[in-house]
Amino acid sequence: MDYKLQVGVQSHLEMGSLEDRSMQDLHDECLHSPETDARKNQTTYSNEPLPFSDGRLPAGCNNMIGHGVYRSIKTVVFSNKLNLLMPFGPLAILVHKLTAHNGWVFFLSLLGITPLAERLGYATEQLAFYTGPTIGGLLNATFGNATELIISIYALKSGMTRVVQLSLLGSILSNMLLVLGCAFFCGGLVYHRKEQVFNKATAIVNSGLLLMAVMGLLFPAVLHYTHTERQYGKSELSLSRFSSCVMLVAYAAYLVFQLKGQNDLYAPINEENLDDDDDDDDDDDDDDDDDDDGGGGGGGGGGGGDDDEAPEISKWESGIWLVILTAWISILSDYLVDTIQGASEAWDVSIAFISVILLPIIGNAAEHASAIMFAMKDKLDISLGVAIGSSTQISMFGIPFCVVIGWMMGQEMDLNFQLFETATLFITVIVVAFFLQEGTSNYFKGLMLILAYLIVAASFFAHEDPTSANEKKQP
Amino acid sequence: MDYKVQVGVQSHLEMGPLDDRTMEDLDDECLFPSEMDAQKTQSVDPNQHISVSGSLPFNGNKMTRNGVYKSIKTVVFSNKLNLLMPFGPLAILVHKMTDSSGWVFFLSLLGITPLAERLGYATEQLAFFTGPTVGGLLNATFGNATELIISIYALKSGMKRVVQLSLLGSILSNMLLVLGCAFFCGGLVYHGKEQVFSKATAVVNSGLLLMAVMGLLFPAVLHYTHTERIVGKSELALSRFSSCVMLLAYAAYLVFQLKSQTDLYVPLGEEVNQNGENLDNNDDDEDEAPEISKWESIIWLAIMTAWISILSDYLVDTIEGASDAWDVPIAFISVILLPIIGNAAEHASAIMFAMKDKLDISLGVAIGSSTQISMFGIPFCVVIGWMMGQEMDLNFQLFETATLFITVIVVAFFLQEGTSNYFKGLMLILCYLIVAASFFVHEDPPTDDQSKQPGT
Repeated sequence: MDYKLQVGVQSHLEMGSLEDRSMQDLHDECLHSPETDARKNQTTYSNEPLPFSDGRLPAGCNNMIGHGVYRSIKTVVFSNKLNLLMPFGPLAILVHKLTAHNGWVFFLSLLGITPLAERLGYATEQLAFYTGPTIGGLLNATFGNATELIISIYALKSGMTRVVQLSLLGSILSNMLLVLGCAFFCGGLVYHRKEQVFNKATAIVNSGLLLMAVMGLLFPAVLHYTHTERQYGKSELSLSRFSSCVMLVAYAAYLVFQLKGQNDLYAPINEENLDDDDDDDDDDDDDDDDDDDGGGGGGGGGGGGDDDEAPEISKWESGIWLVILTAWISILSDYLVDTIQGASEAWDVSIAFISVILLPIIGNAAEHASAIMFAMKDKLDISLGVAIGSSTQISMFGIPFCVVIGWMMGQEMDLNFQLFETATLFITVIVVAFFLQEGTSNYFKGLMLILAYLIVAASFFAHEDPTSANEKKQP
Repeated sequence: MDYKVQVGVQSHLEMGPLDDRTMEDLDDECLFPSEMDAQKTQSVDPNQHISVSGSLPFNGNKMTRNGVYKSIKTVVFSNKLNLLMPFGPLAILVHKMTDSSGWVFFLSLLGITPLAERLGYATEQLAFFTGPTVGGLLNATFGNATELIISIYALKSGMKRVVQLSLLGSILSNMLLVLGCAFFCGGLVYHGKEQVFSKATAVVNSGLLLMAVMGLLFPAVLHYTHTERIVGKSELALSRFSSCVMLLAYAAYLVFQLKSQTDLYVPLGEEVNQNGENLDNNDDDEDEAPEISKWESIIWLAIMTAWISILSDYLVDTIEGASDAWDVPIAFISVILLPIIGNAAEHASAIMFAMKDKLDISLGVAIGSSTQISMFGIPFCVVIGWMMGQEMDLNFQLFETATLFITVIVVAFFLQEGTSNYFKGLMLILCYLIVAASFFVHEDPPTDDQSKQPGT
């Protein structure tokens, strides 16, 4: 999920998983030299605790594999400050077994998932190194919001379709308003003398896709609420399933369009990077911008060399970590979904509020931080990719995908998000599309978006969802 | 309310009260040489009757008396609109003598119009003395003081629906009617070319309007999907919270405008120069010293506000009677009639500026006023209602909220191009006709607090 040019299409396709870049920036100072210089010969610190995968590989194997495992764990697990939250995952399971306190289990699982989500993105991006730009882009496009999808699938399995709808909706809203607003705001404060610019074309395409997604969501809801379905109860489900397939086709077409057009889209960015030496410190980080070789090319500036480097973990390691992290996320998601109702009662807030506001904010924390960081470095395009790209992906891929998965599971998940939520999404998309169409940003626009999110959050706080109150976990 | 370069930020901040410029333009021929040259030594025409300043001591020395006379002459008589001033006292007279609410309402309305315009004039004069920052803030707050005063009186009477409707009507009339007329007349005069205006300001204002609509939409949708947690209380709490957020946003908007006023100013100055108008003459007029002294401005400000308050009281009292007498719904009076007549001065000035190809000022008058009412006026009334203990909320009922929503989207769409022509103006005017017709046939469902509560 780096802003990598080798996997060039990523930066256009799905920048949702770009948080690793910033994390790596932070950690490069301490990790860069030892890690990349001595890949498999590094002496390990034998007193490092190995939380996850040590037991799998035979410790009696030769030194090389042992070191490889240790180093791999070190790279993946310890290279990120966010991973301090990792122990919360097992802790949540512990608390669940020991007490019945749903509120705490929910909260701890949430905290435990956050670093895993971030690492999952990292693993995906590492894997993308080996698979080439096309598959890499697709990987990012699919796994970019894997965490939300995994949580949603577990909720679907439990029959909690309302939680699915609400959490996906909340993810879209928080990405569009909160993440984007914070990015604009912080970037605008740092660069308050000038207006930051971003690529209008990408923003407008994404806005158009979001509007189309809203359209897909609006019709089942309106159909239901005007009581004009042909077959009450069945029509909107069929319409939802059909619309979902259409939306998935649209998303696939979007991917193809991006992949095919990446060369055209790339040239302007190249020129922009080459020309602007002052305001674009892209040159430092994105040497691969200029060199389009796939294998990790020129060194360039100090921090920039990191991008061109060979991936930090090998292909099989990436794959294995991907699997491990997905498994962990699945386990914690199960607890999360189990305890959401208990948490709602324990904290005396509606399930709607938890699903729409709390879940996405904490789940998206890493993306949030990275978007802000990029904005403060005047790389607003990346921030926009993280925020709006993620929203687009969830709305055009995540939601229809869940409907289809529900279809296969036999769950009646549809696109009727109920009137209040649909209206919220509609007005939000219009406001954001309007804000984006100018192609510039300043701290005031960011503040407006953040305040708009405050209003949305307050509305959901005051909102009692009639259907989710009736949802219980199905066995 | 002049397009003044000294109080530079005004033209960006709140051009609502810019009508004086045009009125002065009209009257400059007769007043300019005599007024400017002899500030306080002008011999007074003893035949001028003094309508409002009986409070000043007549026994003061000749200079003060001349000053008073001159001040009155400047403020009261320099504007043709002030011919309507006698209607104010006349309304009070009619109210005391007859029971005809319809007439009292109509006369008070006519009486308020010139007062509103003069209030803006006094504000702008005061802004001369306070410097650009406070001046801008003054304009931003008092720009729609008339609507706010009427609203506060209605709130005190517990007529929160009238408040909502009149503020809504003010927004709609500014966005559609005033803007449409400005575009239309300007387009007719300059039909050879397309007039341009600053897209950036228009887009920022449109964004703010959309955000205001968002703030209004959620309480309404919450109520109408019957999904509040606590029926009746949730939307009030949400409205109050949203109002605070919106006020915060408006304050941030002011800060942002003030901070960036230098940047925004340069293009405007250049644009004005590019238009090739007789800018030198206008700039000279604008650079002039203020016409009345600082204390005069403040006193006149107070006097005007007091008069407007009195007439507002009668206005609010008689709105129901007028609705019965004329057989039109209160909604129609509040949304359509009240704003049109109340805004007459701004309306005229916007048209005049458009015809002089100064479309940015027209836009400032129209859209800036809408933004101010939606992001400041409405939340302010909610907060005032909160302090008074009135349950004023942001739930404008579905019909009105939907109207506002669609209107804001249409106008935002029209504005995003940055050009104007008579066709766009005509479209906006026709849209307003549709909105007005809708409200004519719209019966506001009765709520508990429609009738005036006793003890006011």
